[in-house]
Amino acid sequence: MRSTLFLVAVAAIGLLCGTPVNGQSYAITNARIVTVSGATIDSGTVVIRDGLIEAVGPNLKPPADAKVFDATGLTVYPGFIDALTNLGMPAGTPPPVRGAAPTAAMVATSNSNYPAGLRPEEAAEDELRGGDTQFEMNRNAGFTTALTTGRTGIFNGQSAIIDLSGDSVSAFMIRSPFAQHVSFATVGGGVYPGSLLGTFSALRQMMYDAQRLQALQKQYAANPKGMKRPDADKSLEALFPVVDRRMPIVFNANSERDIIRALDLIKEFKLNGMIAGGQESWKVADRLKAANVPVLLSLNFPKRTTAMSPEADPETMETLRLRAETPKGPAKLAAAGVRFAFESDNARSIGDFFTNAGRAVDAGLSRDIALRAMTLASAEILGVDDRLGSIEPGKIANLVVIRGDLFGKDKYVTHVFVDGKYYDQKAPPKVTPQTTRGQGENAAGLPNVAGAYAINIEVPGQPIGATLTLAQQGASLTGTLVSQLGTAPIRDGKMTADGFSFTATVDFGGSTIDIIFRGTVNASQISGTIDSPQGVVPFSGTKTP
Amino acid sequence: MRKSLAILVLMVISMISPALVAAQSQTAVLIKNATVMTAVRGTLENTDILIQNGKITKIGKNLNAPVGAQVIDASGKYVTPGIIDCHSHSMLDSINEGTYSVTSMTRTRDVINPTDITIYRALAGGVTTANLLHGSANSIGGQNTVVKFKWGHAVEDYPIADAPPGIKFAMGENPKGTNSGGRNAVPRYPRTRMGVIETMRDAFLRARDYKQAWADFKSGKTKIQPRKDLELEPLVEVIEGKRLVHAHDYRSDEALNLMLLADEFGFKIATLQHGLEAYKIAPEIAKRGTGVSIFTDSWSYKLEAYDAIPYNAYILWKNGVVVSINSDSDERMRRLNLDAAKVEKYGGVPEEDALKMITINPAKQLGIDKRTGSIEVGKDGDVVIWTGHPFSVYSRVETTIVEGEVLFDRSKDAQMRLDVAKEREALEKLDVNKADKAGGPPTRVPTEKRLADRDEAEYGDGGKR
Repeated sequence: MRSTLFLVAVAAIGLLCGTPVNGQSYAITNARIVTVSGATIDSGTVVIRDGLIEAVGPNLKPPADAKVFDATGLTVYPGFIDALTNLGMPAGTPPPVRGAAPTAAMVATSNSNYPAGLRPEEAAEDELRGGDTQFEMNRNAGFTTALTTGRTGIFNGQSAIIDLSGDSVSAFMIRSPFAQHVSFATVGGGVYPGSLLGTFSALRQMMYDAQRLQALQKQYAANPKGMKRPDADKSLEALFPVVDRRMPIVFNANSERDIIRALDLIKEFKLNGMIAGGQESWKVADRLKAANVPVLLSLNFPKRTTAMSPEADPETMETLRLRAETPKGPAKLAAAGVRFAFESDNARSIGDFFTNAGRAVDAGLSRDIALRAMTLASAEILGVDDRLGSIEPGKIANLVVIRGDLFGKDKYVTHVFVDGKYYDQKAPPKVTPQTTRGQGENAAGLPNVAGAYAINIEVPGQPIGATLTLAQQGASLTGTLVSQLGTAPIRDGKMTADGFSFTATVDFGGSTIDIIFRGTVNASQISGTIDSPQGVVPFSGTKTP
Repeated sequence: MRKSLAILVLMVISMISPALVAAQSQTAVLIKNATVMTAVRGTLENTDILIQNGKITKIGKNLNAPVGAQVIDASGKYVTPGIIDCHSHSMLDSINEGTYSVTSMTRTRDVINPTDITIYRALAGGVTTANLLHGSANSIGGQNTVVKFKWGHAVEDYPIADAPPGIKFAMGENPKGTNSGGRNAVPRYPRTRMGVIETMRDAFLRARDYKQAWADFKSGKTKIQPRKDLELEPLVEVIEGKRLVHAHDYRSDEALNLMLLADEFGFKIATLQHGLEAYKIAPEIAKRGTGVSIFTDSWSYKLEAYDAIPYNAYILWKNGVVVSINSDSDERMRRLNLDAAKVEKYGGVPEEDALKMITINPAKQLGIDKRTGSIEVGKDGDVVIWTGHPFSVYSRVETTIVEGEVLFDRSKDAQMRLDVAKEREALEKLDVNKADKAGGPPTRVPTEKRLADRDEAEYGDGGKR
């Protein structure tokens, strides 16, 4: 069905393009143009040249050298902005297992005075890798820009605003660094801070130390004679712009009390703060408004995963209420005058972003504000509204063309332009049911992990049993994970000579989280670690005959 | 004089905002015809208590209700001051920072959770005030928070603003046995009782040097501003007598050692927490004006509790020590009235002195006795109405009032349960909450990991997150 639509769309355009095409002028004609910054044009033309929007208007003639797309019946929007992702970032170094000796990675990757997790100098810019295929899924959904950052540690590090295009990091970078990102997490492995109590104390101490070091360095620069040389501490130096309010600091906080804690810290150190996630931010809308703190608001609304045990306890009222109330949150934030930008929050399916934006609209959020929260309002919060977020001449040519209603089920993205490049919409790769091969090694010389395993996930004090069923096709793994947390299909399953890895999404404590399995297979035994937002736990299992 | 001043103040307020006055008179509560156990001035029969603007303004017979006041008929019922728990870890999302043995930089204020259902349950047991302490994993733990249980209020309404700050210390098995790195980690120092006291002395020597470093800088003797050290600042406050030390200890030798250390650095231990062997050194404790906050039983439940006896409270009381009874438990907190009754049974502490041990005595130990802990005019309107004598197992809390606000009302509790059941039914019908066709709901992982046993928060971070 989808591929038929695609063909129809292509036929309507009357063009077949390779992907991507650059150095070219394009004109999108006969389109409904939602500029966001100005009035919507019922039927008009957008001209793109050399990566920028050259002209927009109802009665524009396409330039002679432009490739023309007839967009009759279609709508052009500014490219959508995802206000918090880890797109382009390698999978994070997992925090250490409780009780384990510091890993080589912890020790070797940095000469910082601070342990992994307390290194604000780590920057997305240094971790990002080029290659535009990694953004394909998000781009096909209509996203052209994203804020991206690491997600591990207390200091997640410095984020970057990127275009979802480009072969090289230097080409797709829009702004770096944008902000420092913080989670109320712990360092773990017996290293301070090992609890939420310590996390706040450690954050405070580093802020004070950064303030002092900056003052001392200034004093020394002015007159080094007779003064002991202050430290050149790169971790503290990375906080200078934060304590000076030159760089925003984004606190990942979903619960009401974590958001209040973040706001208290923002007030205590007079920071240029933001909240990310913000599931319960509507409960503290008045505080957010009073503090003028914007929210990078998650559209990964809590949802119920597949059911499991018939003898399970009833769900808590908090969980039931959270699922019911969260979609109403954006409308309440808007009514209170809180600024917000939507973010996907690593949703299992990127399509949830628009489905849930639609639910927020159904719950009373105006369509205009919903659209702005993924375009111009996001660009404003990210400080790039002078170049992104609306369809205006001179802005970056990030555009998305849509058939159907943006918030409806019939929404279909027909064209995407990033940095003036046209990206042909590919039909999603066909998923063919994969069969398990025979025992022994696969054709590629890789170990075979296919089969069903009874595994034990060693959550401290609370081991969880689960059944893992894996199918292997070359280096690709598929299958399911069945546990008390529900039945979850696995994705991103990979087998290399070093071992296997895959991701499963489970419902844990009322929110949907990704857990990443990494392990090795040895005959009928598998073992490894699971990386989750709550920390890292080991697992092991045996093949069931 | 006081009255005319109050009238003057009221007049000024009424000129500023008539709406405000209207709102305040609605918060007035008049309790009629109760048997009032004041905790300091005996028991008054058929007595009324008027609470206005959060404070007790009148105690007497046949008091008139101000316009708009809520009137509660307490005929045949008992009224006590709100109970104060001098040792609690309720409301805390995190309890121990166990990586170091000195974590004076941590603050329980950072991690309090005003939505913890424990608060409501504590109110149902007549508790209105609690001392939220860091756990006992460390020789020197974190900073405490003294809160009123203002259920339904925002988090910042909980801490008592004028309560003196405090800090947790711990001796014995817990700090020497804690090893936050887990089984395979390098053991954390200290591993012995002598190591614990050395750790404390070392911290105070560092704090003394730190204080000196700032003094030198301020007097111009040194040029470079010292580092603001969040670990040592609270210890300087301890040395200066500005921060109360609440020290977890079991054995008398250790309690003595700690008091000698305090003597050496010129401060006083505010309370020995638990103090299971405190009876052995009662005169030494009394001499220093140190308080003891105890369990009324729990003898021999672990090795260092072996010499605990039921008469601990009695012997301490006899020696003039200010004694309080604490729970250290979300569950036991709701029955502190019965723990107080036990000290009447074992040794025969008089009724009012037993009541003091869960009201005015913990208030004194926490430095908040000017505002709460007894039923007297001018004090906070923190009172509990009981169906019968609070020391009877058959009595239950009917109403708990915190600063003039009814925050637990047994008659409304039944209706609230029905409302919640109705809400649950409605929520479960929503699409987002419907179970998958494949079967029943998924098993929930319990979020409350702590047991209803005392000393439960001793190892690791027992918080509820």
